[in-house]
Amino acid sequence: MWWIVAVVAVVVLIATYVTWIAARLDRLHARAAAAQAALDAHLVRRAAAAAELADTLGRGDLRHAARAALEAVPEERELAENDLTRELRRVPVADERAGIVDASRRVALTRQVHNDSVRDALAVRRRPLVRLLRLARRHPAPRYFDVDDPMLDPGVPAS
Amino acid sequence: MRIGIVCPYSFDVPGGVQNHVHDLAEALIRLGHEVSVLAPADEDAPLPPYVVSAGRAVPVPYNGSVARLAFGPISATRVRRWLSAGRFDVLHVHEPVTPSLSMLAVLYARTPVVATFHTATTRSRAMAAAQGALQVVLEKITARIAVSDLARKVQVEHLDGGGWEIPNGVAVAKFADAVPLAGWPGTGGAVGFLGRFTEPRKGFPILLNALSRLVPARPDLRLLVAGPGDPEEALADRARAVRDRITFLGKVSEEDKARMLRSVDLYVAPNTGGESFGMILTEAMAAGTPVVASDLDAFRRVLDGGRAGAVFPAGDAGALADAIAGLLDDPARRAELADRAARVVAGFDWPVVAARVLEVYATAIEAAPRLGGVAGS
Repeated sequence: MWWIVAVVAVVVLIATYVTWIAARLDRLHARAAAAQAALDAHLVRRAAAAAELADTLGRGDLRHAARAALEAVPEERELAENDLTRELRRVPVADERAGIVDASRRVALTRQVHNDSVRDALAVRRRPLVRLLRLARRHPAPRYFDVDDPMLDPGVPAS
Repeated sequence: MRIGIVCPYSFDVPGGVQNHVHDLAEALIRLGHEVSVLAPADEDAPLPPYVVSAGRAVPVPYNGSVARLAFGPISATRVRRWLSAGRFDVLHVHEPVTPSLSMLAVLYARTPVVATFHTATTRSRAMAAAQGALQVVLEKITARIAVSDLARKVQVEHLDGGGWEIPNGVAVAKFADAVPLAGWPGTGGAVGFLGRFTEPRKGFPILLNALSRLVPARPDLRLLVAGPGDPEEALADRARAVRDRITFLGKVSEEDKARMLRSVDLYVAPNTGGESFGMILTEAMAAGTPVVASDLDAFRRVLDGGRAGAVFPAGDAGALADAIAGLLDDPARRAELADRAARVVAGFDWPVVAARVLEVYATAIEAAPRLGGVAGS
């Protein structure tokens, strides 16, 4: 009769493990979603700062890139943000850049946090048991935000 | 902000991570935040008011040496108690991948977690074996910080992702305002060295070779050495003329280290390898002492691409001798280097570094899911 007990024990263990993994998946996807929202907020802030800077300096290309980034559809967001980064790099170093340098740095930082959370969620999604039992079916797979490094170099202050 | 910081190593024992946590906590408090530090400590050890002791650490063999860890049911209880009493907005742990208070804090945390990785040690077998378990810990970390490019690279290689690079801070005023030791630097020129001079990679023999070349033409040149080690062992087989020029201070306190750095005309870092950052360079720069360093990547970076100090090819005593001679004879160039160094090191000053850490805290708080119910699941 011992083998019935053994089978029951194994089933209980598996069920506990599955429940735990499912909860873990929920947490990981919630974290990825929250990080995504934060990244979005910082991208918007950067684009707004860039638009203001463009108005101050009277640079049409920069204004255009900032508007494009604010209005981009999700599929083209990464390209638009890369364009904005490129335009910002062309602005000569000046004090007006201080706000935009901070905004760009926050984007870089939030992007790292976001991509870390995506990587963690994807890692658990790929586990054999998760794939087999389709435990992650309730959550769409999170995506990395794949852009060039948005950091701007303020340079060493000249005395 | 209410900030909880966890230090895995005993606070009453001197060490890089402990100094970092101590200085960071004080800088954050000075900026107006509420900080509590949890660390192991002996029962009757005097601790700063913001430190909460988690009890004694137990020595455990790890990675070829002995680590002192606090990890077990009693430590776990203390961690939970500290977390619930603290009501922190953010938890900042240091070195969370070894079994320690940091790891326990991550596991029990219900707030956003920021983790700083200090060591650039290569992966140990224990860490490799624990990959799966480590994953559970790493998942709970919202944002990662690395104190150097090398520490960051180690993270990328072994932990699947790099950290945000924020260097170790330095208390610039403490070094800039230190009083030189009596009789130093003197009129004949003085150079300084700090570190374990018997360890080959610190490069002390190279400095001695350079000194041998310089002494004939500069009879009053002196070398001031601070750090642990046996002078006899280091000076074996060296000529009398060279031995007489050297003063050994032994291990020095933090205050005396600052004084020593202010007591020399040049600080020399002849290291041949194994440096992930080069704290001593930033400290010499803060003291206003021009730096002559070997061309290791880490040193070049700290010296602003080699512009805030003189750089020589690692291991080349002749080049080092030339660099020292050149600078001793050129006070204007020394002043120029010190000036540039002062501007560079201002970026490493603790208020600036603490502000960058606060940015990471803010990002972690923004990026964390709201507790207490899932919105619209």
